[in-house]
Amino acid sequence: MTAEVGAGARTRLDGSTYLRPLPWKHAVEVLPPEAIVKLHDNTLAILEQVGVKMGSKAWLERMADSGARVDFAEERVWFPPGLVEEKIKMAPATFELAARDPALDLRIGSGNVYLSTDGCVPDVLDLATGERRKGTKRDLSEITRLADALPQISFHWQPVSATDTPDYVRPLHEIEAQLSSTSKHIQQMTVVDPWNARGMVEMLEVVAGGKEALRARPLMSNFQCCISPLSWEGEPLEAIDVLAQAGIPVGICSMPIACATAPATMAGLMSVMNAEILSGITALQIAYPGHPTWYIPYATSMDLNTGALNLGWGPEELTSEMAGAQIGRHYGIPTITGVFGSGAKTANWQAGVQNGMSAFGKVFSPADMVTAAGTLVFCNAYSMEELVLDAEIWDIAWTFAKGFDFDEETLAFDAIAEVGPANHFLGSQHTRDHMLDFWRSGIFDRDAWEDWEAKGKPDPVDNARRKMNEILNTHEPLPLEDDMLKELSKIVDAYQAERAEEDD
Amino acid sequence: MADQQELEQAVKEGLMVANGPQATEATTALVEAGVDPKHILEKVMANAMFELGEKWKRGEVFLPEVVASAEVFKQCNAIVEPALLAAGTKEAGIRVIMFTVKGDLHDLGKNMVCAMMRTAGFEVTDLGKDTATQKAVDAIKEIQPHIVGMSALLTTTVGQQQVVIKALKKEGLRDSVHVMVGGAPVTQEWADEIKADGYAPSAPEAVNKAKELTGKV
Repeated sequence: MTAEVGAGARTRLDGSTYLRPLPWKHAVEVLPPEAIVKLHDNTLAILEQVGVKMGSKAWLERMADSGARVDFAEERVWFPPGLVEEKIKMAPATFELAARDPALDLRIGSGNVYLSTDGCVPDVLDLATGERRKGTKRDLSEITRLADALPQISFHWQPVSATDTPDYVRPLHEIEAQLSSTSKHIQQMTVVDPWNARGMVEMLEVVAGGKEALRARPLMSNFQCCISPLSWEGEPLEAIDVLAQAGIPVGICSMPIACATAPATMAGLMSVMNAEILSGITALQIAYPGHPTWYIPYATSMDLNTGALNLGWGPEELTSEMAGAQIGRHYGIPTITGVFGSGAKTANWQAGVQNGMSAFGKVFSPADMVTAAGTLVFCNAYSMEELVLDAEIWDIAWTFAKGFDFDEETLAFDAIAEVGPANHFLGSQHTRDHMLDFWRSGIFDRDAWEDWEAKGKPDPVDNARRKMNEILNTHEPLPLEDDMLKELSKIVDAYQAERAEEDD
Repeated sequence: MADQQELEQAVKEGLMVANGPQATEATTALVEAGVDPKHILEKVMANAMFELGEKWKRGEVFLPEVVASAEVFKQCNAIVEPALLAAGTKEAGIRVIMFTVKGDLHDLGKNMVCAMMRTAGFEVTDLGKDTATQKAVDAIKEIQPHIVGMSALLTTTVGQQQVVIKALKKEGLRDSVHVMVGGAPVTQEWADEIKADGYAPSAPEAVNKAKELTGKV
């Protein structure tokens, strides 16, 4: 059943989970064509003359074998421009990220924009007290289950860290918590070493039904991040080996901070960012030709007074993210960019303004995937109310950006002729066919004063909380078989036991 | 040779605007002219850094400038210190050991705290990043610092702060140092949980906390 019900609810009548990706209609190019050329040339010069550090002998050897200049003692690689240009072309422009429910697969590069939850957030804002506390495995399950029911959320990161589990095996606990809480695609961002990567693959093989089944439908993806400036640790590279060999798609991320780990100019910041991402994609394509990957530009700047990150709220950050998506489009490589991430401490006016502006920028420079909904305090605290509110903001931006159809049916000549002058369209079939296409809010306050008073004077956050509670009280994700749950738990226990002694 | 007052002014200016050659040349000239090294350190260099700190508090200078000045301070200090030792007037300062915990290669925040601490007159030994617990313990035994500061950026490495505190306890060192923790995922609650003595959300706050813990105003 596909009908949508209830003001702003946008859930199906049967309560089933579905996605509402944004179709690309517009792309605002924030960088002029000559800037892209200069940026590309500067990037190639950096990779050829400055080079990057790579902390893995096996990867250094591969780079040397493919024609890069390598200093093994310094763990440094210099890439000839021709090699970079040749290898980045091997990254596929389209691929699928599979979901446990095949109807929820992400078709990356198809012209759709998919939104996710935020990831790796240390704290949550407690629902009962509103106070900040450490995230737990249970929080991770609950947030994932809430996001599973929100059609604006197409895939998951790990919204909070399961800090009540041992850190060395935490990624596997997070995988266990999420797999049973959603049937949407999960992008696992906390697996950054080969040991946890092996555990991740073992767990996914259980759910997918074996090695080949997993290769055919990778239920999770992953990404690895460069340490700015220009440094790849060994463990993330070795994690890529394990994941790529199992057929898990791996994105390449850069998070430079202007004034701190990158130059204090936008052009310099983007040059470091582009060099880091292209070095990662070049290396990946040398090691695993044609492996699905994506361009992840998270460039930010430093607060000059405190040294903290300026996240999700500055005009430069918005520009650099829009530019990042544009650069990805230029290279024909799928992208992720960021959205939201207000510094506000509660779901308040500041959060609404910052996240609203952020969303409206991002929908006009679309990336294939956009992250991440639901955080406050500069991505340091997760709020389930904010997740519902961010989904609503995305919905507004989505409706605005997708535009309107002008065809015979929507121009509605027949309906206008049928009704004629001095009549009304209230009950006409055409009205009933199309009325639900209009955006409706379940969160904004549009009540008359008296109605608002009668409801106990709710504000939008109260409305979001009500919607959240409805979902949490009723939504059941597609269940995993009991045998699978037991098997997953056994794998986590085995890995935990393996390193428990070392931890003591 | 320029007179003493001009040289002192050159050191101060060089420190304030992070002009390394100017500050170090003038410092060398003062030392070679036989000016009391204690006077150079306390009345000239430290005064300049204090003034810089005040400017920073008023929002007149920014962190990148403070970091650059702290680097110049380090260079000048290297010139003055041998003279202090020779004159036997080196006073025991407040020693701080800083490092980023094992498994974590993110040291930017730690570097900022080091710079701000040096600016405020602490004697900082920076052990670097990805620091093995044993290496930290050995350094603490050798240097006997008043403060041990640990940073961690990742939610997966922040637990190492607790590992270090446990190791200090085991070695009987815990009560002889003030342990401070910081880093993006670190909160006061976490600091309380692992029984650290101090936490600060930013580099400048870390300096205030260090002063509070050591009674240095």
